[in-house]
Amino acid sequence: MKKRLLIANRSEIAIRIIRSAHKLGMLAVVFQSDREPDALYLNYADEIIPARDASNEKPIFLDADLIVKLALEHDIDLIHPGYGFLSENPDFAQLCVENGINFIGPSPELIRDMGLKTVAKRMAIEAGLPLVPGSEGAVNDAGAAKLFADKIGYPVILKASAGGGGRGMRIVEKPETIERNFKSASDEALAAFSNGDMFIEKYLQNPKHLEFQILGDKYGNVVHLGERECSLQRKHQKILEEAPSASVNPSMRKEMGDMAVRFAKSIGYYSAGTIEFIMDEDGSYFFMEMNTRIQVEHPVTEMVTGVDLVDWQIRIALGEELTLKQKDISINGWAIECRVNTEDPQNRFSPQTGFIDKIHFPQDPTIRIETGVQSGSVVTPYFDSMIAKIIVHDIDRKAVIAKTLKALYEFSLIGLKTTVPFCRTVLQHPEFVNATYTTRWVDSIFTPEMLENEEDEMIGALAATIMYASEYLQLSSDLPTYKNDNLNVWVLNKRLNY
Amino acid sequence: MGTSYIYKRDASRLFIALRENGKRYKIYIPKESKPVIDGVEQDIDFVEQEDFHYTFDWNGKRFHCELVSRDQNKAIIKVNGVEYKFSLESLFSYIRHGMIDKDSSQINENNIVAPMPGKIVDIFLSEGDLVNEGEPILTLEAMKMQNEISANCNGVIRKIRVQQGQSVMKDELLVEINSIDV
Repeated sequence: MKKRLLIANRSEIAIRIIRSAHKLGMLAVVFQSDREPDALYLNYADEIIPARDASNEKPIFLDADLIVKLALEHDIDLIHPGYGFLSENPDFAQLCVENGINFIGPSPELIRDMGLKTVAKRMAIEAGLPLVPGSEGAVNDAGAAKLFADKIGYPVILKASAGGGGRGMRIVEKPETIERNFKSASDEALAAFSNGDMFIEKYLQNPKHLEFQILGDKYGNVVHLGERECSLQRKHQKILEEAPSASVNPSMRKEMGDMAVRFAKSIGYYSAGTIEFIMDEDGSYFFMEMNTRIQVEHPVTEMVTGVDLVDWQIRIALGEELTLKQKDISINGWAIECRVNTEDPQNRFSPQTGFIDKIHFPQDPTIRIETGVQSGSVVTPYFDSMIAKIIVHDIDRKAVIAKTLKALYEFSLIGLKTTVPFCRTVLQHPEFVNATYTTRWVDSIFTPEMLENEEDEMIGALAATIMYASEYLQLSSDLPTYKNDNLNVWVLNKRLNY
Repeated sequence: MGTSYIYKRDASRLFIALRENGKRYKIYIPKESKPVIDGVEQDIDFVEQEDFHYTFDWNGKRFHCELVSRDQNKAIIKVNGVEYKFSLESLFSYIRHGMIDKDSSQINENNIVAPMPGKIVDIFLSEGDLVNEGEPILTLEAMKMQNEISANCNGVIRKIRVQQGQSVMKDELLVEINSIDV
């Protein structure tokens, strides 16, 4: 009997997982949320479980108890959580395990450990990974903070131990201001969290975000599949990713990759996972955290390695041994992923909801499109704004940038604004082209005017004029002084060459 | 006659699209050829049209245009996903609003006067016609020689002060033109 795999997720990643489930000869089961009853992913599933979550406080994808209850009712063997939602929720993983359902991911304990920053960092130190220099615990007073900062070098960042949301946080550029900043941040933290404890860390002014993909099985075999660079972020949300990274040379790749493998082995990790590093301008790098899910940007790694990560996630969950060996894995060419979010880059990336009247993707079969929508789909405010991903692969970075740009010009969406023009701007910016861009790019360099260009402006003027003229000329044709003729064969014959 | 000129008589086909940033496009949509933008005929292909949505090809690139909103003569157009706001004027409203040829010295500069005494034997154009720089407007016969008198700028013929068969003095005002080369 075919195994029944339930996807506790939606949109493009649900479709992506269905593809792997079918490849492995399984039945793919999905939930139909009342919040988007006509979603595209439903068309691809073998079986649909109505979630009847309309009046529930949270959508089905966040309701661990309901997911497991329905899974049991529908004889589900495995659950794939996708990304987001409950994918890194140890209680959900635990609940699956307790109910005899195979949770596709690492053990609940590891999800919990990696979710606690302090625990994850301690485990990383034990495995010999470099961490951003900082005080391991709270520093006692302003004087101690200064001594510490003098030792690790400026700028430093002061963070409230109990902090969050930027409160009790200060970036200190020079020694003269550290005592004053320490006091004000500590007072702020005390007022906000009733705890004035501060710790101190080196502040990386222009960091790059690099992450290593690993795969591990339940028998201690672990490989890495190279890095991805995800420095292009806005408010910690990645928008465009690439693999490999121009900032990682082969010897660094080996060093960092071996480190990632060593870490995964030391904690007994299995399934797909990602080890994130932050890299300073001088090339030094530090462990940040480990993600225990499949990531949005996993396709760029798949494109350059030819390894199907979702297939392996499922096979590993079934207890298969990882037959991939490190020596068999090589990085071929270059890949870029552009996220298509329904956000308005001309207006602070405000979310756009409503109908997608028409969506058109590039038709090149070598371009990988992962989409959760089609023409006529609705973008609701209930879920995140990412509707599709455009993934392009070519022989090298220069070629893939050109190919991606061309693909983005072929993309069109009528009805809502998207991040596609933003991605086009990025791909043409010198700092992206020469690969010196950092996580500060959006905040410190990007302006909405950069989205505009003269060709688009001129064609826009033409389009506006034609729309206006067709009315104006019709109107004036009623007047005796003007000839009674229509607009233009150039306009009227528009369908001839189509 | 005159077929090689860009502007073809009908001035009601010339429009001005103005952006908030001051950028201005003069767009002429001839009856049977490609659009002329700022005096240059552009090889733009019309690929597709639906109600509020046009697709063009130009320079090997595709341009998806969508009308986002329209309020009288103001329009917001999304081009390849980015919005541009224009206000649109016909040439006549543009002139009426005094945006072209506002001061009279400019008008005087574009006036055509008789370079020599003679007789008007032919007038090719009418008031309100669009005319190209260098395009003949009328023929003046002087000392048995026929002289073509041409426009000194691209513009619209505001006033023709003479009639066929009329004799004129040197420096007599023949034609007033509103230049569009501004």
